[in-house]
Amino acid sequence: MSEENQPQPASLERVLARKRAADTFKRVARYSAVRLVTLFLTIVVAIFLTIVIANMGGYVDEIRRGEIRENFNQQAAMNPAIRNLSVEERRQWVEERVRIEEERQGLNKPFMVRTIAYMSNALTLNLGRSMHLTSDSGSRTVRLILLERLPSTLVLFGTANILLFFFDLYVALYLSRRYGSFLDKLVITLAPLNSAPGWFYGIFLILIFAAILKILPFGGMVDTPPPSEPLRYALSMMKHMILPMLALALSSVFLAVYSQRTFFLIYSSEDYVEMAKAKGLTSRDIERRYILRPTLPTIITNFALGLITVWTGAPIFETIFQWPGLGRQLFEAIGLYDIPIIVGETVIFSYLLAITVFLLDFIYALVDPRVKVGGQGGAPS
Amino acid sequence: MSANREKLLRVEDLVLHFRTTVGTVQAVDGINFDLDYNRAVVILGESGCGKSSLAKAILRLLPRNVGAYSGKVYLGGSDVMALSDEEFRQNVRWVGISMVPQAAMNSLNPVIRVGDQVAEPAMIHMGVKKEEAMKLARQMFEHVGVPEDFLVRYPFELSGGMRQRAAIAMALVTAPNLIILDEPTSALDLLTQANIFNVLKRIKKELGTSFILITHDIATSSELADEVAVMYAGQIVETGEAKDFFPAPLHPYAQMLMASVPRLRADQDPEFITGQPPSLINLPPSCRFAPRCPKRRDRCEQDPPIIEKDGRKVKCWLYA
Repeated sequence: MSEENQPQPASLERVLARKRAADTFKRVARYSAVRLVTLFLTIVVAIFLTIVIANMGGYVDEIRRGEIRENFNQQAAMNPAIRNLSVEERRQWVEERVRIEEERQGLNKPFMVRTIAYMSNALTLNLGRSMHLTSDSGSRTVRLILLERLPSTLVLFGTANILLFFFDLYVALYLSRRYGSFLDKLVITLAPLNSAPGWFYGIFLILIFAAILKILPFGGMVDTPPPSEPLRYALSMMKHMILPMLALALSSVFLAVYSQRTFFLIYSSEDYVEMAKAKGLTSRDIERRYILRPTLPTIITNFALGLITVWTGAPIFETIFQWPGLGRQLFEAIGLYDIPIIVGETVIFSYLLAITVFLLDFIYALVDPRVKVGGQGGAPS
Repeated sequence: MSANREKLLRVEDLVLHFRTTVGTVQAVDGINFDLDYNRAVVILGESGCGKSSLAKAILRLLPRNVGAYSGKVYLGGSDVMALSDEEFRQNVRWVGISMVPQAAMNSLNPVIRVGDQVAEPAMIHMGVKKEEAMKLARQMFEHVGVPEDFLVRYPFELSGGMRQRAAIAMALVTAPNLIILDEPTSALDLLTQANIFNVLKRIKKELGTSFILITHDIATSSELADEVAVMYAGQIVETGEAKDFFPAPLHPYAQMLMASVPRLRADQDPEFITGQPPSLINLPPSCRFAPRCPKRRDRCEQDPPIIEKDGRKVKCWLYA
């Protein structure tokens, strides 16, 4: 009897395990779906607001209609064939063309309809054509204009953020070991430098290193004319990146190190860190397994959010340094009321932010066993 | 065995002071005691009398604001205070002395599996491979009565009692001669407390381990204790065999401490010690208990010497 029963618990176990796996899958799937929907709604709201604001509540559309009419009036005045028509005929010719053009651009529809049409185009990454700005190759396709500017922004801010991130982490750990030392106090004293933005320091750095000392370029990304050899090109680019990166570092590094060092100090006074010390672990192991490992979720968040800011570039910063990136493009687009460009940049940024937030949830669950995606949370006992 | 062989632990004039903005805290102020193999000493005292600081001073777990740290700690005859930090880490921590911390809830790393944390000291100090260390951890779990499958769980998945047992297993894994237990049961309910003390008693009998048990819980500690040391304001005021001490403590503070324990069988109300324990900053040159002592006399204005009486030591003028 007992021999017959023996296989049963094993198969029961297997059934239970399969059921548990199915439950986990269902839980994660439901959580992901809900999360995706809420994030998408966030994007919709962000883009809707951007469109309404960028359009100044429809005022920019009025400007565009005025421009179209002005354009055809001028054409009528310049064209000898039409110039000689009667006033009434000429007016009809203009009205006809204005009507066709407004219809083509959708400007004859009510404000809400127009806005929602813009929005659905934007959401499907159908970014349309710019109004004034063109890419270097002369294209007016917003996607091409943005893609052309993206690499230079990525190079500058990506390099700066990644370097600063690891530098901050390393120095913060070092200072948390030497709490109260001269260097520690110096960093704390300099932390308020963070209150001014990077471009503010940029102005002074350009003044000192470019105007007075004449050792570094005023701005731009490469020498003019651009060197043809790839190595020379890279070196020239690096030379142009020194001042912007220095400005970014000045405005962020001290506060970042200060706050992370305080964070590590708090975590290194946890009981389990003292316990690790009592267990005779080397300070390297303590730092790696007992300070960095439990704080990994926070460190990853810092890094991810830092990366998001990389994508946007920084409008004023890039303008000060004449850096041909997305930020400066946005700055120019705002000056020219070039709505498609403004909206296009916002759309890309919103999507990237949403994807990062979505991924962070899952990364948390991977690095911290206490976090369970979609669960009720808390200990089972 | 020869009569004059070395004791397991001898502490001489151990001092640990902390610097604070309001003055120097004399948390451990000239402590002398010794402990033999396979013995358990209970260190009794109120909160804030320096008991936990004593444990930290023995294991050299110093905070950043250390003012003074001196004295001698002999472990098996050799002075470990003379070792460099690195030598101390390699030869004393968890090799000679391990510790069970006060709050086991927070003393386990939340993101590392319990088994890995228990096995960790074996890998560091015994040079064994991971599988070997995990085997040891499994044995220790068996010793302290934690189910084996808890090895792969995370600390937050364990109950308080299980975590405390895991912490004891962690202290045992390198088979040290001495384990310091810093209020090991203060956060647990009475039944769990009793269980933990049963585990400790069995370990002492089976493995021959010595214990320094730091507690203010007189009732439960009396089950495990061979010797008692009473601490007051950073100093030891009385030491003696447990069987002599519990029925008749000598020092007035120890007497009042014992009288404050509620008794189940005797129809006697617990008494209270009036006044506050002294702040450990700017201590007077008098006997430190004098301001609260009911038996105070003029002589108590001077610091009393340690007086031997029937093989017991007491720091009080009453017995001079």
